[in-house]
Amino acid sequence: MLFPSVQFGIFFPIVLAISWALMARPGLWKPFILIASYIFYAAASPTFCLLLAGVTVWNHGAARLIHRSDDDRTRARLCALAVAGDLLALGIFKYYSFFVQALARALHSVSLGLPLPLLTIALPVGISFFTFQAISYTVDVKRRLIEPATLLDTSIYLSFFPHLVAGPIVRAREFLPQLATPRDPEHVAVSAGLTLIGMGLVKKVVIADYLGRTIVDPVFGVPQAYHAPDVLLACYAYAAQIYCDFSGYTDIAIGLALLMGFVFPQNFNSPYRATGFRDFWRRWHMTLSRFLRDFLYIPLGGSRHGRWRTYRNLMITMVLGGLWHGAAWTFVLWGAYNGLALIIEHALGGKIKLPGWLRWFVTFHLIVFGWIFFRAQGIGLAWTLLTRLVAFGAPTLWTFPILLAIGVAIVPQLLPPRPVGRFEENLGRLSPALLGTGLAVLILFVAATVPSQGVPPFIYFRF
Amino acid sequence: MSTQPKHPDDNLMERFDRAGARRFSARDAVVSMFIAAAILVVCAGASIRKAGHATRSGIGRTAVLAVGYPAGWIADRLPAHHAAHVLTAWLSPDINLSGPGFSQPVSLTTTGAGGVPEVTPDAFAAGDLGLPPPPKRPLHHLLVTGDSMSQPLDQNLAQQLTPQGLTVTRDPHIGTAISNTVLVDWGKLARHQVAQYHPDAVVVFIGANDGYSMPGPSGKQVNCCSAAWASAYANRVREMMNTYRQNGVARVYWLTLPTPRDSARAKIARVVNAAVEVAAQPWRDQVRVIDTVPIFTPGERYRDSMTVDGQPTIVRQSDGIHLNGAGASLAATIVLDSIDQDFTR
Repeated sequence: MLFPSVQFGIFFPIVLAISWALMARPGLWKPFILIASYIFYAAASPTFCLLLAGVTVWNHGAARLIHRSDDDRTRARLCALAVAGDLLALGIFKYYSFFVQALARALHSVSLGLPLPLLTIALPVGISFFTFQAISYTVDVKRRLIEPATLLDTSIYLSFFPHLVAGPIVRAREFLPQLATPRDPEHVAVSAGLTLIGMGLVKKVVIADYLGRTIVDPVFGVPQAYHAPDVLLACYAYAAQIYCDFSGYTDIAIGLALLMGFVFPQNFNSPYRATGFRDFWRRWHMTLSRFLRDFLYIPLGGSRHGRWRTYRNLMITMVLGGLWHGAAWTFVLWGAYNGLALIIEHALGGKIKLPGWLRWFVTFHLIVFGWIFFRAQGIGLAWTLLTRLVAFGAPTLWTFPILLAIGVAIVPQLLPPRPVGRFEENLGRLSPALLGTGLAVLILFVAATVPSQGVPPFIYFRF
Repeated sequence: MSTQPKHPDDNLMERFDRAGARRFSARDAVVSMFIAAAILVVCAGASIRKAGHATRSGIGRTAVLAVGYPAGWIADRLPAHHAAHVLTAWLSPDINLSGPGFSQPVSLTTTGAGGVPEVTPDAFAAGDLGLPPPPKRPLHHLLVTGDSMSQPLDQNLAQQLTPQGLTVTRDPHIGTAISNTVLVDWGKLARHQVAQYHPDAVVVFIGANDGYSMPGPSGKQVNCCSAAWASAYANRVREMMNTYRQNGVARVYWLTLPTPRDSARAKIARVVNAAVEVAAQPWRDQVRVIDTVPIFTPGERYRDSMTVDGQPTIVRQSDGIHLNGAGASLAATIVLDSIDQDFTR
């Protein structure tokens, strides 16, 4: 069930009303919200509810066993087993075809048969997100940062529908305390929630989808048909599209949760304002960055064992972070590119003094360049696109609406946050009736921009 | 109004608390949401009903129609729907399709004396008569269209043909079906495409979303997948083929559906493919049906992978319906072989 869909438009107001009606009685509210979340997930594919339930029970059981043990080695082994189980599920559903086909070809080249069936496995929506959240729960219990929750609370934590399919990756220690007591019905961030939902819809439907169908999909699909000006513009357009698509989803998710009384962590903070790659990763998909930092980079040793170990750890973290996005060599390449950029930045360590605007300019363009590998449907196509960047010819796609959409997506990130804050303050003074009316009018206008084929899924749904 | 934190996590809420700003309650959240929903019912109730009609059968469709029918009924009786449409229609990215389409039952039969369908010379391929094939013409413009099945085939064809100086127009209409005119009416769309692009050749790959009931020859709704449904479907396909062939000036390459993994979909695909074969019969040299079943799913048995160029290769997407990049590449090779029988490039 997509957020910008009629189905969700029917589902959410009903769930919201019942949720608040039952909120004071956790014995009723918790089963209700769990069932609602599973209905939401079942709309994508009912069979995958079993997988979600399986991951929940597995990690709940592991956390209980870890908690019972006082021996650190036993705790570590149990935790490793639980994480291995999570990664196995992720590996089978997300990477099986990718690795088995590579293996089949390698074996075929030496005239050997494949010991495994060469088949495709449907990717459960959101598996990358809920397995990471499950890992964070189990590891945090092992680290004694949190107590194990009840099975019901763990189930709600992993399946809570606003963050279920594409994050943000909410840590157990952020979410479980919010389940401990009913949400305060007298303190709900309604204006902030509705503002985020409205902004998210505009970002996703009006900007991201428009750029996708008018320039990004045509140029990245058949770069041979376009010359340098169009290819260049398509690269900027993709930078705008992926930001608006993913941050739009996150805005809606955070907004929905706020209306239900829950607070999610921030996931984006004007990422194209970054003046370095480290800065960028502190602003882009922040919940993934901190997950990779806390559960991969630091356990690998972080920056504690000298320069070369730091570089190795950065590269491993970013390559695996790239692979997390999908089973394709382009994602590995994109991860390695980011790892290399972080290593170079670390190695330079302020030895080269550049003015702020120049650091921003260089960073921004290096990030846009990196997105080519992220978006291209194969390394061959990425290479073709790069060669077309030097194929001179007349622009055909430089239209005012496309330039405007790119500008609207990127330029506000470079401005001071004050105008947005003032806008939200003004909204906060409106009555609920006016806020609801405003949201409805916005939805009417946003819906009018949707083509008959409907709203395409969020880019991060396939991750 | 309390300013003391009541909950251990209230500090998280500080991010959204503005100094001096109003504090809303759960009641405000529900009220604002229901006011928004009520306005949308009044102004867009018909669109909710339309969305229900465009949804595949299942609980989701039932739920949307359960709201859509009363919402549409309310919207139909109030002027707000029309006003909202007037205010927002200019934003629509859809092309305005006009002329007769599939909303009316299609009847194409050319009858000779005594009501017997007439056989025309176009029904014979030159090769079948032992005649030399017609001379090849240069290919300038190829249109690749269909539903999501046409992707990434369209991309693959464009990648191969564009460097040769050909124009390849890709016009996929995702989620659409020939048997359902709610999202797009393919009868109208085909005419629009021909008028806009004047292609020398058209590649069509469609049918993955089909199976909707539609009006049969008598005007009564017929359900998939009876002979009556197959004939209604074949008539629609035949009208599209007739449009795309442009009185014999252009060539059409229509791909059948490779058998899907799901048995219910496989049953529909079989009928769709049979209808396509029948539909193409009047124009054997102008409309070539490229049967993908023996290539991808011999014996109508679904398979994820096959040997391509001596390598074990996955050719289907994980949904068990679409071709993946490798599968589309193989399909593109077969389509180009067929195009090369008619055109030089």
